[in-house]
Amino acid sequence: MNLLEVKNLKKSFGDLEVLKDITMTVGEGEVVSVLGPSGSGKSTFLRCISMLETIDGGSMTYCDKPAVSEKDGKPVYVSKEELKEIKHSFGLVFQNFNLFPHYTVLKNITDAPINVLKRDKDEVMKEAQELLKKMGLSEKGDFYPYQLSGGQQQRVAIARALAMKPKMIFFDEPTSALDPELTAEILKVLKELAAEKMTMVIVTHEIDFARSVSSHVIFMDGGVILEQGKPQDVIDNPSNERTRAFLKKLEQ
Amino acid sequence: MKKQSILLLLMAVMTVFLLPVNAFAAGDGTERSTFTVGFDAEFPPYGYQDTETGEYVGFDLSLAEEVCNRRGWTLVKQPIDWNSKDMELKTGAIDCIWNGFTMNGRENDYTWTTPYVDNSQVAVVKADSGITELGQLAGKVVAVQTDSSALAAFTGEDASEENIALADSFKELQQVGDYNSAFLNLQSGAVDAVCMDIGVANYEMEARGGGFIMLDEHISSEEYGVGFLLGNTELRDEVQVTLLEMLADGTFAQIAENWGLSDSVCLSAEDHVTDEVVKESTSFGEKLVSICGQLLKGVGASLAIFLLTLLFSLPLGLLIAFGRMSKFKPLSLLVKLYISIVRGTPLMLQLLVVFFGPYFLFGVSTSGNYRFYAVIIGFALNYAAYFAEIYRSGIQAVPIGQHEACEILGYSRPQKFFKIVFPQMLKNIIPSITNEVITLVKDTSLAFAISYTEMFTLAKQVAAAEATIMPLFIAGVFYYVFNFIVAMIMDKLEKKLNFFR
Repeated sequence: MNLLEVKNLKKSFGDLEVLKDITMTVGEGEVVSVLGPSGSGKSTFLRCISMLETIDGGSMTYCDKPAVSEKDGKPVYVSKEELKEIKHSFGLVFQNFNLFPHYTVLKNITDAPINVLKRDKDEVMKEAQELLKKMGLSEKGDFYPYQLSGGQQQRVAIARALAMKPKMIFFDEPTSALDPELTAEILKVLKELAAEKMTMVIVTHEIDFARSVSSHVIFMDGGVILEQGKPQDVIDNPSNERTRAFLKKLEQ
Repeated sequence: MKKQSILLLLMAVMTVFLLPVNAFAAGDGTERSTFTVGFDAEFPPYGYQDTETGEYVGFDLSLAEEVCNRRGWTLVKQPIDWNSKDMELKTGAIDCIWNGFTMNGRENDYTWTTPYVDNSQVAVVKADSGITELGQLAGKVVAVQTDSSALAAFTGEDASEENIALADSFKELQQVGDYNSAFLNLQSGAVDAVCMDIGVANYEMEARGGGFIMLDEHISSEEYGVGFLLGNTELRDEVQVTLLEMLADGTFAQIAENWGLSDSVCLSAEDHVTDEVVKESTSFGEKLVSICGQLLKGVGASLAIFLLTLLFSLPLGLLIAFGRMSKFKPLSLLVKLYISIVRGTPLMLQLLVVFFGPYFLFGVSTSGNYRFYAVIIGFALNYAAYFAEIYRSGIQAVPIGQHEACEILGYSRPQKFFKIVFPQMLKNIIPSITNEVITLVKDTSLAFAISYTEMFTLAKQVAAAEATIMPLFIAGVFYYVFNFIVAMIMDKLEKKLNFFR
């Protein structure tokens, strides 16, 4: 089953057409890496499928449930109630974490499952402890975000996303705000998640990481997908001229 | 108790600083070229501002003008705040108080000329009120001007037992700042009667073109004189002699007629001038205790304004902030206009509008109780506008990422606001809120604009009655201590919110 199907997605800001015609799918257990130079539209693409932006054309389907479908050439979103349900099928991890600064680590993780999903408090707390343990943060439950390093904060953000039990998680340049050492921490966590068959879409600049964990790589530039396929094909043996130039620059 | 003694010492030092000021008032023997008359510019027909020419005119000023002409002095007309008249005189800023100035009860406080006007205190009521005698004022709200002869007639040391009993029968004896506001109060029904000098009553009733009647019974009789600084007999004698000259050649009577006061004047060549003065002395400590006791009554009123204003304006401000940020354009524009008006006009004016508006805009008579409600409504509406803008800035300072995180986690709008945005906003705005709250403490004194007696109004009244500036300094200390506590509490709150960054 495909967890996400995007067809002919278009998005403009004013006169600027940021996404021109994006079509892609994410299958269950897949790890999709989205690569591309700055300004290529990859972050906007992630915000569109996260529904932080409304799209101007095309359709999006989550777990076989259509969220946006095209009618008379215009995208039509389903009702608010249906969207709410669909939104629970994915999580998002931000580049700059966006933890709630006035909540402890534990409350950051447990508040939404308890108050949004209305789940049993004790059960959620137990799961949160396990998630923290998995993230190597067992001792940090009562800390406030400002008392943690960037890497630790990002791991809390990942735990917060996982606590909602989404079918897939989107990552928006999860390591861009971190130094190389902390980046390694996060990549390790992502690798573990990939090994557990967590479905993920990751916008990243980490080529080596993308090569080793991805089942599928998308290379974007100028608002379109230039190339996509297995990492060995797209990264090690690119057919497109611009992909080659971009990868070459990164290697230098 | 140590704190109290420091406070006393502080006030003692402040008072001592003010004493040497008297020294400047003493005459230096050189030829006088100007003669400065202090008067309350809101006291027609004795001294007031002519609305057409903008000049200060009046019976007293005409007399002073004539005296100056005959003496070869230049007359300086100096309008003063009635409550500060003694300070003005002591500092030498004015040479005399010549302004329907009642001698009775003040005989020993000033050096006086002989009385030139006999003025009785009378009560004015609405023509259709049905009140025809003083006894009917029982249970009514009666207005008098602050530190006026009418007030003294009811509550002063020399008040007759009859008048004290009469005043006790009133529902309330309301002090107002000037006669204009007294008549506005009377018209709007906020007070049932206004007591004042007969000359003033005649003038005001004529100027207002009917609708009022004067009760036949008089409350008291009294005399006006020109008041000089205690001991300044030299200048007093010069003025006295000239006045008697004017009486002799008929100029005095002519001027009185010009001002419609022929019935009231009483200047007589036979009267002798009182000179000797015996001043009662009370110890500094006794005076301080007595003043503090009197001010204490106003502290409750100030506190009530402060607390009730916060109680209403803090939540109201949040609603206004929502309106201001609303995506519904007409609403946000309307709220923007409201904020702009409230911030762009004086709070004092807004209080007047809230208090008098119901009657003068909509013809709704208001009761005396409305005075307090008007204070709270005016303050709450004003402060809510300021708080709204502070809230708005605090809300907009919460990073967009916080909203997006809420969106992704599925929080509802109320959940997002109360759980995530509000606590962060609170931390953002505490310093600005502290500023506003401290300003509010001091602004409570503006309630005097609609004659609500809070602490500062009381301080001014006591200062005027006791002819000392001490109450104002005590009031200053009160505001400082009040704000010190406010700042301390806000500091605690700020520290409390320091648990996150």
